[in-house]
Amino acid sequence: MVRDGAEERENRKMWERKIGITPGMSSFIFLSHIFLFAVWQLSLMNGAIQVLSRFLRSKRARVLLMVSACLLTGYFLTPVLLNEVGEGLIREDKLVKADVIVALGGDHRCNREKRAAELYHQGWANNVVVSGLQYAWGFHTGEAARAYVMNLGVPEEKISIIRETLNTRAEAKILEQLMRERGWRSAIIVTSAFHSRRATYTVEKAARDRTFHSSPVPAGSPEWAPDRWWSRRGDVYLTVRELVSWANTLVNGWQ
Amino acid sequence: MGRKRIWLRRALISLCLLLAGCVVLFFALPKLLIAPANVAKSDVILHSSISTQSTADEYVVDLYRQGVARKIVCVSSQISWELYPGDYAREHLISLGVPAEDVLSLRLPVAPCDAVNLPTVAEFVKAHGWRSALLITHPEDSRYAARVARRFFEREGVSTAVSYAPEDREELTRNWWRTHWKTQRMVAEAMSITLDLFYAECR
Repeated sequence: MVRDGAEERENRKMWERKIGITPGMSSFIFLSHIFLFAVWQLSLMNGAIQVLSRFLRSKRARVLLMVSACLLTGYFLTPVLLNEVGEGLIREDKLVKADVIVALGGDHRCNREKRAAELYHQGWANNVVVSGLQYAWGFHTGEAARAYVMNLGVPEEKISIIRETLNTRAEAKILEQLMRERGWRSAIIVTSAFHSRRATYTVEKAARDRTFHSSPVPAGSPEWAPDRWWSRRGDVYLTVRELVSWANTLVNGWQ
Repeated sequence: MGRKRIWLRRALISLCLLLAGCVVLFFALPKLLIAPANVAKSDVILHSSISTQSTADEYVVDLYRQGVARKIVCVSSQISWELYPGDYAREHLISLGVPAEDVLSLRLPVAPCDAVNLPTVAEFVKAHGWRSALLITHPEDSRYAARVARRFFEREGVSTAVSYAPEDREELTRNWWRTHWKTQRMVAEAMSITLDLFYAECR
């Protein structure tokens, strides 16, 4: 290594002699180049800072900055807000004893009926209502739901059916009549999580003198889930449809 | 102040134009969603127009009697506990005079979109040795079903045509914007088509 360093010094001296400069001058030239480069860079930077500060003082820059800030905030806030929208669709009340458990219709997987049977067995109410539609070929989805609830151990005489329920408002009207006929004062509404707030709102509006508690099917796959709902095609459909239905319910639109 | 007013006016005009666009789009839904019925002689009729409002069974029987196809498959997903409407539609077709051996029921799982189940249907058709299929759908689903089905069936070497019961179309398009179930079906179909564009499993 020592020999290498000495060799390098010797080479440099030879090279200095060759191009005709005094020994040690090359180091000076090198350092002065670095100094000049630094000065040039600083002046460039200074110029750039001046241009930037002038630009930042302009109206266009302020608008650009504001738009960038909004976009950045939007990028980070949108998932939080969308999750909140999903959570906002759910209403889950503290369970109290009621006269009847109502499993609203429209669940092809029958999770609502399953949840209603669970609540019945836990003793939250003595009656169960299921709901459905009459099809042209002589079958009724409500009958199938009743068969399922019976299969889960609820006695036949404890189950009633709401028929001809094309939508939640129609269902709420028929439920109100049924509760009046049977003298039931309170009900636990069982439906899918995404439907729970609107369903409870609708039945409360249809039967103001009665008490309702919401106990939805727990959210989660394959049913709808509020967390990152926009990433799943089925959940997006249900959420958007629910929001449209909310708008329709609030303006008292199509029935 | 003047500039603010100009911006406000521009914003209002944009909003009005957007609203007008939405209204036009809403009333154009039947034209956009319903394709002309296309009845082609096929090996099998895939009957999926099974709902409370449909009268497609009679239409399917008519097509069978005209010799459009020699086999019928009623396609459906579960709508309640162990309840597949296709099973009942099959019984109904038999009661209308179609021989039992010519009508089948195909049960499909509950799926978020058509594209998830169509490969199963296409494989079913191929497995039976059928080379062409006539899909009977709900009218509002006809244009989209034709596009999606063609993609999945052609992959299996099966040609397709899509049709629907004329009575269903007439009923659906009559004052549709004033009836809840009709509007619901139109809007739901438009939503489905739009959403399918964004999700790989449904494209």
